[in-house]
Amino acid sequence: MEGDCHYLEGNLNARRRVEYIGQLLDQIGLDRQRLKMINISAAMGNEFAQHAVEFTNQITELGPNPLTHVQGEDSKEKTR
Amino acid sequence: MIIAEQKPLSEIKELVASAEQVLVLGCGTCVTVCFAGGDREAQIVASSLRMSTKLDKQPKQVDHVTVQRQCEWEYLDQVSEQIEAVDIVLSLGCGIGVQAVAEHFPNTWVVPGLNTTFLGLPVEQGVWDERCAACGDCVLGLTGGICPIARCSKSLLNGPCGGSEDGHCEISPDTPCAWQLIYDRLSSKGRLEVLMDLQPPKNWSTSRDGGPRKIVREDLRLVDQKEEN
Repeated sequence: MEGDCHYLEGNLNARRRVEYIGQLLDQIGLDRQRLKMINISAAMGNEFAQHAVEFTNQITELGPNPLTHVQGEDSKEKTR
Repeated sequence: MIIAEQKPLSEIKELVASAEQVLVLGCGTCVTVCFAGGDREAQIVASSLRMSTKLDKQPKQVDHVTVQRQCEWEYLDQVSEQIEAVDIVLSLGCGIGVQAVAEHFPNTWVVPGLNTTFLGLPVEQGVWDERCAACGDCVLGLTGGICPIARCSKSLLNGPCGGSEDGHCEISPDTPCAWQLIYDRLSSKGRLEVLMDLQPPKNWSTSRDGGPRKIVREDLRLVDQKEEN
């Protein structure tokens, strides 16, 4: 749960960094809705499955990654 | 150290709009430590530019490389081939780095990816404060090691103005009054008598008021470089 992390304040730090990455995705032109962070424990299998289904539906609605559908370009951004 | 922050990606895209090949040039010194223009940031900016220009259907070839210091010729020489091979260099160095690239590679168009902001230090992780205005005539010996030039909003030399309230500056409750800090420090050291010495008007000719500054150390110069200049 938020603030209740094995790495102490780790998930609070992660939340701020995910927010930063969301802003960067918006600037790039990729929808920040493609990124989501949830807090969940290893004992919450059902909740995890529920979040996974909801997020899958969300990104399905957004459609395919536009970077893989730009005509005439490499299909994926290379990892460097 | 020199503190800087990245320009928005939209501004960077405008700066490199005319180029097909871009080199993002990181700097391994000050701007690495303030998380603005080191190798990690150069990678992120290069990747962001590749993705964003691709989405705009105007894809660019964007590579990155980082040198130890952009403000010394010998480090720039190490990447001269990469710099001369592209249309535009996007420097993630401070303003000095950008100008060093422009000066050292006359045929290269270089643009800044950062806004160089001030000389300061990280007071905590993720927070940087200004500490030095590089005025060229240091008064820290008179003020207990707290700079009234950089840290007083009015750069006063003889105590606070009427805007000092509860230890804060009138410009913002988040800004401590430099002269309150100086008073507290001198008081804690039993050195308040230092404040009885009135400071005359400061000679600003050593600062920006005297125009661009230059230091020449004849003891360090090399004979062949003396002849060149």
